[in-house]
Amino acid sequence: MAAKDSPLKQFEIDPISNIELGGYNISFTNSSFAMLITVLVITLFLTLTVNTRSIIPSRMQLISELMYNFVAQLLSDTVGDNGKRYFPFVFSLFMFVLIGNMVGMIPYQFTFTSHIIVTFALASVVFIGVTILGFINHGIKFFTFFYIPGVPFYMHPLLIPIEVISYLSRPISLSVRLFANMLAGHTLLKVFAGFVVSMPFFTGVFPLAFIVALTGLEILIAFLQAYVFAILTCLYINDAYHLH
Amino acid sequence: MPQLNPEFFVSQLFWLAVFFTFLFVFLWRVSLPRIASVLEERQNKIDENLSSAKELQEQAMEIEKKINDQINKAKLETDEKIKETINALQEDVSSQLSSLDKNLEKKVSDAEKEILKNKYDQMKNINNEIANITKMTVEKITDIELSDNEINKVIESHKGTFN
Repeated sequence: MAAKDSPLKQFEIDPISNIELGGYNISFTNSSFAMLITVLVITLFLTLTVNTRSIIPSRMQLISELMYNFVAQLLSDTVGDNGKRYFPFVFSLFMFVLIGNMVGMIPYQFTFTSHIIVTFALASVVFIGVTILGFINHGIKFFTFFYIPGVPFYMHPLLIPIEVISYLSRPISLSVRLFANMLAGHTLLKVFAGFVVSMPFFTGVFPLAFIVALTGLEILIAFLQAYVFAILTCLYINDAYHLH
Repeated sequence: MPQLNPEFFVSQLFWLAVFFTFLFVFLWRVSLPRIASVLEERQNKIDENLSSAKELQEQAMEIEKKINDQINKAKLETDEKIKETINALQEDVSSQLSSLDKNLEKKVSDAEKEILKNKYDQMKNINNEIANITKMTVEKITDIELSDNEINKVIESHKGTFN
């Protein structure tokens, strides 16, 4: 499958420097490099643009403030006042996924969000954190989350397992959604890029035009998926506060 | 599919943990408080300006009220003054009129008295003149010298006819 010009070749991980720690391979790879770029872009942008601390913001400062307000609004709309404590986490998550996706849109740049292990790790952090939060807030009563009130009693044997399964599948759906979107988008781009090269004469222009359009769509999806990731995290946090 | 190759799972997880933790801590401790403080500062400034604007507006309203009060007061005062002056003038005029009336009456009555007196005097004179003329006429015509008493008697008896 991983032939020289396979559309999936772009997802291959190449170690930049081989590191081993306690018998585990923790090589610094192109994936790690993309993460480093992402973190640098976020931290530098948010630091440098707000450095002047102007009352009347410059355009760049305005972008930082807009991002801040965007996530703050998202959190307060879904969770309310309780959500303020989780703002740094949700903001980090949103920015990490968003800029990770955007960095992946740069040609020849690796997209770490197209790796299921990365998205699953992020989703697991959310899932485990939210579950712990639920138990902290409600104790053993948190299990009533699976009990839907106002339903005929004979439906419960059916509904409770469904609720449990849907709850447990949250990290999977959360991570696979992001992973699959990135995988599909980048694969599609690569496939059409192959057409541009292999089609005869000038007909390669058509797949090229399609790539241009698709790049716009992919940028939209990159934002949308980060937004979805953040808003679902907010909803899960909300669930940990308000049982049915 | 390279994503399912577990060879680099540990590496991916390790670097993800490192970078995401760094990002989280950095944003939590440095970036977000900064942005928050900038936003808060702006909000404070806006609130400050709004409250000072409100204060100024209140002051302006107070001043306007004062001005209106003073205008009203001045109006009342002038009204009163005008009324007073009118009253004073009216009194003055009426007193002067009445004094003029009195003067006039007095003068009229004085004149009447004078006229009466003159008339009386004239009447007296006329009697004398009549007596003289009668005496002279009788003398010229008859050469009889009449005494004054006789003439006066005659005149008295005819008084009613030429008065």
